Amino acid sequence: MKALGRVALYLALTLAALTFIYPFLWMASTTLKPPFEVGTLTLVPDQMTLDNYRTMWARAPFGRALLNSALVATTITAAVLVFGSITAYAMARLRFRGRPALNAATMAVLLVPGQLTLIPLYTLIVQLGWIDTYAALIVPYLFNATAILMLRQFFLQIPQSLIDSARMDGMGELRILFTIFWPLSRPVLAIVAIFTFMGSWNEVLWPLLVVREQHLMTLPQLLTVFALGGGAGSIGVSLASAMVLVVPVVIAYAFLQRHFIESMAGSGIKG
Amino acid sequence: MRAEERSGWLLATPYSAFLAVFALYPIAFAVVLVFLQWDLVTPPSFAGLDNVRRLAGDGRFWQAVANMVVFLSIHIPLQIVTALALAMALNRPLVLRAFWRAAFFLPVVISGAVVAILWSTLYATDVGLINHLLVRMGLRPVPWLTDPVTAMPAIAVMVTWKNVGFYIIIYLAGLQYIPRSCQEAIEMEGATTWQRFRHLTLPSLLPQTLLVVTLSTINGFQLFIEPYVMTGGGPLRRTNSLVLYLYTNAFSYQKMGYAATIGVALALMIGAVVALQRRLIGTADAQ
Amino acid sequence: MPSVTFDHVYKRFGDTRVVEDFDLTVTDGELLVLVGGSGSGKSTILRMLAGLELVTSGTIRIDHRDVTALPSRERDVAMVFQDYALYPHMTVRENLSLGLRLRKVPRPEIDRRVEWAGSMLGLAPLLDRKPKQLSGGQRQRVAMGRAIVREPLVFLFDEPLSNLDAGLRAQMRIEIGALQRRLKTTTIYVTHDQVEAMTLGDRIVVLADGRIQQVGQPIELYRAPVNRFVAGFIGTPRMNFVEGHLGGDLGAATFIAEGARVKLTRAFPLAPESSAVVTLGVRPEDLRLSPADSSERPASSTLLGRVVLVERLGGTSHVHLDVGAHRLMASVSDSALPQVGDHVAVGVPSERVYLFAADGRALR
Repeated sequence: MKALGRVALYLALTLAALTFIYPFLWMASTTLKPPFEVGTLTLVPDQMTLDNYRTMWARAPFGRALLNSALVATTITAAVLVFGSITAYAMARLRFRGRPALNAATMAVLLVPGQLTLIPLYTLIVQLGWIDTYAALIVPYLFNATAILMLRQFFLQIPQSLIDSARMDGMGELRILFTIFWPLSRPVLAIVAIFTFMGSWNEVLWPLLVVREQHLMTLPQLLTVFALGGGAGSIGVSLASAMVLVVPVVIAYAFLQRHFIESMAGSGIKG
Repeated sequence: MRAEERSGWLLATPYSAFLAVFALYPIAFAVVLVFLQWDLVTPPSFAGLDNVRRLAGDGRFWQAVANMVVFLSIHIPLQIVTALALAMALNRPLVLRAFWRAAFFLPVVISGAVVAILWSTLYATDVGLINHLLVRMGLRPVPWLTDPVTAMPAIAVMVTWKNVGFYIIIYLAGLQYIPRSCQEAIEMEGATTWQRFRHLTLPSLLPQTLLVVTLSTINGFQLFIEPYVMTGGGPLRRTNSLVLYLYTNAFSYQKMGYAATIGVALALMIGAVVALQRRLIGTADAQ
Repeated sequence: MPSVTFDHVYKRFGDTRVVEDFDLTVTDGELLVLVGGSGSGKSTILRMLAGLELVTSGTIRIDHRDVTALPSRERDVAMVFQDYALYPHMTVRENLSLGLRLRKVPRPEIDRRVEWAGSMLGLAPLLDRKPKQLSGGQRQRVAMGRAIVREPLVFLFDEPLSNLDAGLRAQMRIEIGALQRRLKTTTIYVTHDQVEAMTLGDRIVVLADGRIQQVGQPIELYRAPVNRFVAGFIGTPRMNFVEGHLGGDLGAATFIAEGARVKLTRAFPLAPESSAVVTLGVRPEDLRLSPADSSERPASSTLLGRVVLVERLGGTSHVHLDVGAHRLMASVSDSALPQVGDHVAVGVPSERVYLFAADGRALR
């Protein structure tokens, strides 16, 4: 009865998929429910309301937090792509004496657990006077070892002949990198862009350490503070604030899920 | 060669400087901090081995270690079983295969903070969805996050749920590598479905399983936002994770030296556990 | 008596017909070879017997037992795969014994059989190694050992020698043949290599487009091919084909093609109508070459040709000739080889000539 087995399989998969999707659907619908409907299983609220969102927006600077997250994530992603490519290019195609050491150092850095360096980095930020600044959120992330290694791996495979002929044409190294290597590296650049952006967008521990001012907080950070600090007052409101963080990601994911999976699985990074 | 050498140095310098400041210095300073007392306001003072001694006798620290053990002993086996089962279910020509895969991977891309907040409400004793379902089925509601016995297991299940998509991808990749002819051969040799799984599939997936174990362990030791949001480390400090304890010491108690000591201990623990896992599960031979 | 019967077996994948009306009985202890090009259906037939593919219609019987609906593991057949399919994480000994362990055969019996198979195939020193430590030939032997150890009713071989180099292939061919003769197990062997087929098979089945072209002993297929496909497939080097038509009268028909006339001594059933296209076939080893100006005429018909290429292979050589508008090849011994550019007389012995109708059928 192979057919029966297949039906059972699809049934089991549907059930499993439901447990992964349903909580988010429930979350979305709860944000649209008035307080007395919260906690019910129904997905479609009897009385749809946007009150939760209005309350949330009024009580804490979520718009500002959204902008902060966007600013930080975009800057970091751009920096990682550009600076990372420059570094990876040097490490892959230019021979210089410190190269093996730099290579080893990069890989070693990946082995060290983040918990070890968390406090020293924090004290460094304090000493630099960077508490409650964008600098604290951005600068420590300008270079990403995983991204550099990934880009380096990819750059190693580009034929030397392209570089040679470009040099003969008089192109400088940076010119070669951005006009020749970059167009060829679209897949890996996309992968790096996605996991870097997602990592930054979802990061919450570091902002919690270095930022105190509400108007500088990133979205996940504000969301956490808001939900924990009782500012929400109700489940509907705290979930509404969570939706602001989630909806852009889900939309992007719906269109680009294959790229997301490739990127985050391939880099070993989890959100 | 000279020009290339010069360009190389030039282009690599920003990164080298960055590494020195934001990677090498912190690693070195972390060790230094172990021997200091510092509240960031007054200058640091030398404390000798005080921090280490304090750590050895710190009940809360060891409670956090015990909590991690509870967490990992539930999370790791659960992660392996669910990821493997779902990967095997997905490893065949299915209608809408991309849809299932996307569904399982969705929680991976969602922020941990959001997942924590969401599951706080799901686990809520009175209005939570889970208890709602239990009552519907005629069972008694469970105070998931307020009962010291169920709190950490509840978090472990949630983290498993969040990450399973990621490990499904890893197992799927491994499953693709099992040659079809080997599967046919073992079937012809008389293997039942279970025997085929036990003698061929499972041993072939040893490298992937080791990876799952290692990554979930590292990820587990980094547990922070979940207890921070859902339980604050309680009840009775039973969900206090090591990173949470570290954060509390730094942020709330302003004890930089001690926090750094916890950090170093944590790093050593991760290293030791991962090394032990590699030993026990064996060197993963790629075929 | 474990014989294998295919009873009007058909296989379709969607709209594609892969095997059509495969109807055949394999006798007990026989080594039957299924030979054909890719897409001929030979592997599909083997896999249907193995239980790895479903039969669209028809029945398969092993030892008079209808196995058509049975899963592989209940058929008591063993297969040697093209890529050997050894379990990479197990030692050779474990690979050999897995099937027996799965069936809960008692340990001493397992050890006895593993040793027996091991010694027969020269695997004794390799028993504790893993597949990745073995050479291609050794892996192939382990794959065979695994099949032998189970003492099944039927052996199935799916192009087992394709991944080996030529020298090893030749050697393994001999070993497989000897092994099968010793064990006397009914064996079905699939290959695309007609040399393997000719040397190993007790009987050969030539397949094309999913249909049986001819079944018979190797020498039958060589001497009396039933159609042009079989004639061209069996025999190395390949038979020469020339298209033309028949002329002359019934008693002394002549094959006429541009620049070539061949007297046909046998009476062919086709009336010599000038319009019917026929194909003449003659094997390279049957052509006799002699210098164009010599008076010797060793064969009943002589064509004039010019040497275009000589491939010297050692004892024999392949001489490529232009005869009229046709290119022929003769396989001759090394002595007295013509040079490129020479004009030679090509003797065509009429008793060794084949004639094929327009639809490929052999005319007798």
